[in-house]
Amino acid sequence: VMAAGGAGSRTYSFKVVLLGEGCVGKTSLVLRYCENKFNDKHITTLQASFLTKKLNITGKRVNLAIWDTAGQERFHALGPIYYRDSNGAVLVYDITDEDSFLKVKNWVKELRKMLGNEICLCIVGNKIDLDKDRHVSVEEAESYAESVGAKHYHSSAKLNKGIEELFLDLCKRMMETAQAEERLKGNGASQSASSRRGVQIVDDEPQSTPAGGCCSSG
Amino acid sequence: MLRLAEQCLERSKSFVGKRAASPAKTGHRRVLSNGGGELSPFLPPEVFQRLQTVESQDTSKKELTPIEEASRLNQKLKANYEARLARLPPGRAYQKTSLTLSLQRQMMENLIIAKARQDAVSFHVSLCCSADDGWRFAASGAMTAEEQEQRILYTNVLEYEQDHDWPKLWKANMRKNPDDDTLVSGLVSYLLSGSMVFLCENAIDHTETQTRPTRGSSVGGHSFTMGLSPSPSRSHDLHAASDDEEGEHEQANVDRENSFEDLEHFLTQLDWDNVQELEIRALTEHLKVVVKDIHIAIDQLLSLCLLSFECLNTASSKDLCLASIEEAFFTPLWSALVALFRKVHREREQAFEASMKLYQDASPAAFGVPLKLFPGDPGALQGSYPYESAVQELKLLIKDCCPQRKLECIGESDLCCCSVDCVYASFVEFQYAPVSAATAAWKVIGIIGADDLLPILSFVALRCQCPQLVSECAALEEFIHEGYLIGEEGYCLTSLQSALAYIESLHTGGAPHPADNPF
Repeated sequence: VMAAGGAGSRTYSFKVVLLGEGCVGKTSLVLRYCENKFNDKHITTLQASFLTKKLNITGKRVNLAIWDTAGQERFHALGPIYYRDSNGAVLVYDITDEDSFLKVKNWVKELRKMLGNEICLCIVGNKIDLDKDRHVSVEEAESYAESVGAKHYHSSAKLNKGIEELFLDLCKRMMETAQAEERLKGNGASQSASSRRGVQIVDDEPQSTPAGGCCSSG
Repeated sequence: MLRLAEQCLERSKSFVGKRAASPAKTGHRRVLSNGGGELSPFLPPEVFQRLQTVESQDTSKKELTPIEEASRLNQKLKANYEARLARLPPGRAYQKTSLTLSLQRQMMENLIIAKARQDAVSFHVSLCCSADDGWRFAASGAMTAEEQEQRILYTNVLEYEQDHDWPKLWKANMRKNPDDDTLVSGLVSYLLSGSMVFLCENAIDHTETQTRPTRGSSVGGHSFTMGLSPSPSRSHDLHAASDDEEGEHEQANVDRENSFEDLEHFLTQLDWDNVQELEIRALTEHLKVVVKDIHIAIDQLLSLCLLSFECLNTASSKDLCLASIEEAFFTPLWSALVALFRKVHREREQAFEASMKLYQDASPAAFGVPLKLFPGDPGALQGSYPYESAVQELKLLIKDCCPQRKLECIGESDLCCCSVDCVYASFVEFQYAPVSAATAAWKVIGIIGADDLLPILSFVALRCQCPQLVSECAALEEFIHEGYLIGEEGYCLTSLQSALAYIESLHTGGAPHPADNPF
C-alpha cells in the first residue's frame, strides 16, 4: 500500500452551466478557457459543448465540468434539464447587443426561481475588443449584477482577456458555498447518499499521484 | 491421527447440519435467525468447542497457522539469499547490500501479512464465540442492527472460506496481479455464476425474518438478489425505503383496485380517459418501486462482493465490480424494464411519433442547423442523407442491454452525443466531399457548441424513427451513476433528452415543455 496523500486534501467537483444567446461568444469563451484555442482558421471542428478544467486553488483540487446550453429561443424551455444541480452559472452577453443582456436578465430570474441562492452567478460582458460599438453601459451591467447577487466581469475571447479571472473567482465562490453547506450538514453526521443535489466531495485517491502544476487543463 | 481428526470433523459437521436443518426451511448447515430463541444462529457451544479442537489438531498436522507459514517461507527466502550470495563474484559489495536489503524487506512483509491473516482468523473465532452467547456485544448496544447483519454475513463468508478453496485462490491471484482489471470482472462473473448461492440463500433466510419477501417477480428471475442482507451504509435507507415501498406499492394496488371497482360500478358513466389516467398513475407508482428495488439490489450485491473480497475495495476495482454486476444484472432485465418504461411514457412516445411523421423529410435547417453544417446540395451525399452515420450509431443504443454500456457508447465510444463525434465525422466528411482534397485540409467548419449541437441532435434523433428512444433515455437517467451525471456521459444524455423533448413538442407547433419535472 502506498503512502496516503496529504490528509484532508479533497477534490471538489463542480458543475457550471453556460448560458447566453447565440452569437454572444459563450462557446469561444469557454473554449479559450479550457483549451486556449480560438477559432483562428487552424481548426476544422471542435467539440466545445462539454468541457472540463482542473484547477488547484490554495491547495484544494477543483474539477470543473462546464455545460454549454443552446441559446436559441426554440430550446429555451429545455433550460431546466441542463442547469439542475449546477453549482455555478456563467451568463454571457455581448456588450454590443442590448438584447443579449435582456436575455441574461431573464435567465437570472429563472435560475434564482428554480435554484435559489445556492447557485453562484457570474455575468459576463463579452467582446470588449469591440468597445467602440458598446450598447450596454458598464454602470448598468454592474449595478444590475450587484442587485441580483451576481459578480460582473468583462471579457474578450478573442484577446483572451478576463477569462481566467472570472472562472477563478467563480470557483472560489463555489468552494465557499460548498464549505458552508458542509458545515451546515455537520461533520459527516448525516450522510445522505441518495441526494443528487449539490457538490460532490470525494476523498483523494491514495494511488493518484498529485498533479504538480496548477491550472492544467483536462 | 489425521484421519481420525477428519472423521471427527465430518461427524460434528453432520451433527450441526441435522440440528440446524430440522427447524429451518432450507437444508443449510448454518441457518441464521435473528433471535426468537428456538433457533440457534450458530453452533452450540459444545459442538463449537469440539470443532475447534478438531480444527486445531487438524491445522497442526495439515495446515500451518499463517505465521508459521510465513516463517517457513522466510526460511526458504533466506536459503535462496545465501545461495545467491555465494554465487556473487567477490568485490560486488553493492549487490550484496541490495540483496540483503531486499531479503529483509521480503521477510518483513511476509510477517506483516501473516500477522494480518492471523488477526482475521482470531477475529472470526471471537465472532463465533460471542455469537454463541447470543450476540453479547449486540446486547451491550455497541452494535447496530445493520452491523450485526454485516457481521453475520461476514462470519458466513469466513466459514464458507474454510470449507472452500476458490475464494483463497482468487484472493491470492489478485494479490499477485493487483493491476489486472480482467481479474475483477472475472471474479464477479464467477460469483454471479452461482458459487455464492450458499451465501445468498443464507442471507435470504436471515432477511426474510426481517423484511417482507420482496417483489422479485416484478423484475423477473432475479428474486434471489432482493433478499440479500443489507449493506452497512445503505441498510438504514433500506429499511426506511422498504417501508415507503410497501406504502407506495399498496397505494398503487389500491389505485388499481379502485379503478376496477370504479369500472364495475360506473362502467356506463365512466369515460375511458379517466381509466387510462388511473392506469398510468398506478403504473408510474409501480415503476418507481421497481427502480428503487433495482437500486437497492445492486447496492446489496456490490456490498456483498466487497465484504467477501476486501481486495475489491479500492475505487477502481469497485467501479469495475459495479460495472460487471450491472452488466450481469441488466442484460436479462432490460427489455422487460424498458417495456414498463414505455407504458409509462406512452404519451411522450406518441408525441414523438406524431412529430416524426410530420418532419420525416425535413432538412436539418428545419431544426435550426446552420447551413454551413450540412451540404446545401443533397446530391453531394449520393443517396445518403446528412448525419446518417450518427443516426445509425444512435439506433445501436437500443440494441444494447446494459445501461452502463449504453452510456459508455454515448460518451466514450462516441456513440451518440452522443453521436457528437460521429456528427463531426459525418459533417467533416460531407463538407470535404465537394472541396478538392488540397484545399479541404484546413477548411474551417466551426466550433460546435450547444447552439449547433442541439439542432443537429434533434435532427438525428428524429431520423432514428424510434419512439422507444424516449423511454430508453428515461430509463438510462434512472440508472446512470451519480458520478457520471455531472460528467460527459451525463451531458450527452441530457442533450439527447433535450433533443427528444424538443421533437415531442414539434407536432403541436408550440414551445417544448421539459419532459419531466427536473426538480
